[in-house]
Amino acid sequence: MRRSVSTAVLLVALGLEIAGLVAGTGNFAASAQQKPETAEVKIDNFSFGPETLTVPVGSTVTWTNRDDVPHTVVSTEGVFKSKVLYTDERFSFTFSKAGSYPYFCSIHPKMTGKVVAQ
Amino acid sequence: MSVNPFDIRTVILAKHAQHVVLIHFPIALFIAAVAFDYLGHWTRSRTLAAAAHFNLLLAAASTVPVVATGLAAWQWALEGQKLKGILLMHLVLGCISSALIWLVFLIHLRVRRHPEVPLPKYRLPFEALAVLIVGFTGHLGGFLSGVNGPG
Repeated sequence: MRRSVSTAVLLVALGLEIAGLVAGTGNFAASAQQKPETAEVKIDNFSFGPETLTVPVGSTVTWTNRDDVPHTVVSTEGVFKSKVLYTDERFSFTFSKAGSYPYFCSIHPKMTGKVVAQ
Repeated sequence: MSVNPFDIRTVILAKHAQHVVLIHFPIALFIAAVAFDYLGHWTRSRTLAAAAHFNLLLAAASTVPVVATGLAAWQWALEGQKLKGILLMHLVLGCISSALIWLVFLIHLRVRRHPEVPLPKYRLPFEALAVLIVGFTGHLGGFLSGVNGPG
C-alpha cells in the first residue's frame, strides 16, 4: 500500500514536471516569436514595400526613400510622422504597442502602407 | 486603405490635392493666351487680341488659388519644413511663373486701357520665355506628383 502511494506520488510529480517542461517550452517558443526586431520598408517607384509589414511588438521599422522624389511617412491615426524624406534619407519608429498602424505619404496620399505590431 | 480621388473627404483631407487640380487652369489659359497673342500679332486680328487678353485675365486670376493651395500644402502636409532640392525648385519656379503671368497680363491690361498705345513687341519673346518657365515648373510639379515621373 505504502509502495503504491509512493509510486502514485512519483507519477504525479513526473506528470507535473512534464507539464512544466511543456509549458516552459511553450513559453520559450512564444517569447522567441515576440522578440523585437528591426524591419525595413523601402520607398520606391511611388510605393511602400512591403505594403503590409507584420512585426513583433517593440520592433523598430525603418523606412528608406529609394525614390528620386521626396516622400513622407505619416500615420493615418497620428501615431508617427516623418519629416520630408529626400532620396536615401531614413525614418525609424518603434512600435511599442500591439495594433494595426496604417500610414500614407502626405505628398502622395495614394501611397499607403500598414504596419501590424503583434 | 485605398484612397478614392472622388471622395470629398479625400479631396479636403489630402490638403494638397486642390493644388494639383487647380494648377492646370493657369497653365492652360496662359499657353492659350500666348498662342492667341502670337496669332493676333501675325494676323492683326482684334478678336484674337481680345481672346488673348481675356485668357490672360483668367490665367492671372487663377494663379491666386494655385499659389494659395501650394503654400497651404507646404504648411499643412509638410508642416512648413525647410524645403530643398526639387520641392524648393518647384516652389521658387512656381512663384516666378505666377509673377510672369501677372506681368504679361499687366502689359496687355495697360495697352487695353490706352488703346492708342500699341502692344510692345518685346512682349513676344517675354511671353515665350514665360511659357517655357511655366512649362518647366509644371513638369517639375508633375514629376513631384508622380504624373511625369517613373510612377
